[in-house]
Amino acid sequence: MATDVSIIGQSARVRGRVVGTADVEVLGFVDGEVAVTGSVTVGVHGMVGAGIKGRRIVVRGSVRGDLVGSEAVLVEEGARVVGDVRAPSVAIASGALVRGFVQAGEPDTTPATRTTETARAVPASSVTARAVAKPPVAAPVAAAPRAVAAVHHPPPQVRVTTPVRSPAPRAAAPAHPPAVAANPPAPHPTPRQPPPPVVPAFKKARGQMVKKRER
Amino acid sequence: MAQARTQSRGDVREARIGSGARVRGRIHGDGALLVEGRVEGDVVIVGDLTIAAGANVESDTVEADSVTIAGTLEGEVIAKGPVRLVAGAHVRGNLRGSAVSIEEGVRFAGRLDCEFDLPPELSGAAHAEERGRAGARR
Amino acid sequence: MASTVIGAGITIEGEITTDEDVVVAGTVRGKVTAKEAVTIEPGAVVEADVAGSSLAIAGSLTGNVTAVERVDLQSGSRVIGNVKAARVTIADGAQFKGNVDMDV
Repeated sequence: MATDVSIIGQSARVRGRVVGTADVEVLGFVDGEVAVTGSVTVGVHGMVGAGIKGRRIVVRGSVRGDLVGSEAVLVEEGARVVGDVRAPSVAIASGALVRGFVQAGEPDTTPATRTTETARAVPASSVTARAVAKPPVAAPVAAAPRAVAAVHHPPPQVRVTTPVRSPAPRAAAPAHPPAVAANPPAPHPTPRQPPPPVVPAFKKARGQMVKKRER
Repeated sequence: MAQARTQSRGDVREARIGSGARVRGRIHGDGALLVEGRVEGDVVIVGDLTIAAGANVESDTVEADSVTIAGTLEGEVIAKGPVRLVAGAHVRGNLRGSAVSIEEGVRFAGRLDCEFDLPPELSGAAHAEERGRAGARR
Repeated sequence: MASTVIGAGITIEGEITTDEDVVVAGTVRGKVTAKEAVTIEPGAVVEADVAGSSLAIAGSLTGNVTAVERVDLQSGSRVIGNVKAARVTIADGAQFKGNVDMDV
């Protein structure tokens, strides 16, 4: 009999922890934590009353605890999970019931919108440069000196090129900036437009919607 | 909080925000909405909402009959029906719907709040959830 | 078929209760109560009281052992504890320290 996969049989009930380095299949009831370095599968009738830690966790039954996978967590149809779910890859099937915080993928910041990205591209040192919203000036290789230069000559990119050349030796490379400057993250130079407060409701004739787009 | 209800179900209304478009403000109304561009503001519709790959929605609340996301969304999602995050989606915010599904590889951070009961053997903490649920119910 | 198997890399700290059989190749610290057979494989480490319909022990067990039918201490096994069963066999090479009660 293969002892690589441990099985908590359907009629078995464990009051305590299950830990170790192998794979575990819970078909019965574990009233305690499951923490292994292998995979953990909770069968359709399986139940775990505390958290589960494993490399790859597949839940088809019920869990009252956090699911923390070092690789992946799959919550399949019919599963019921009350607890947080955290793994680089998380899949939750349509018929699965989950109540808790889910973190799929590396914990990171806002799904960066373009405005955020542009702000980041600009060196933090130059507050003014950011207000300018003309990031090409302070291109990615941005060195402090260049940023300072940008401050002096905010709007027209052309003028900036010249002073940039002198202070920073690095400037030599991007010295043909207008083209290069265009490359960096800067999207279209769409700074702020006065925002229209409310988009007309769709109830209005479709024709009007089309017109608006064309504008 | 959508405005008037649909007069006739047979009359399908669809709207689309194209990939080059950018909308700043609240979107509300009747009918399906496909977002391929960029939206900054709440979306409250009676209809199906689809956020296509490459689209970007930033809002406080997104409400629709069903929500399918392949692009980027930041905001709270409230659907009467299913919420689906498909491959490539990048979502930050809580999800609430009749059924929530997240495909493998999606990037997501937020709460899922499905209403259900755990089997009695596990129901210790479930009762606490019930109490919280009652308060959160709309 | 559906039985409980505690594999070599797994440790259970707590009590195991089942209507079926149990095979232990890993570590159990606590208690094992089965309605059917309990097998403790070579290399297993059990620090628990174990009860089953019958017990076959080839590993290490520290605790009391109770079986409805029989207990077999196989060669290589090491048992410290009391054994109670209708039939008991202690194989040559088994190490055993404890009482044997065959009066059921």
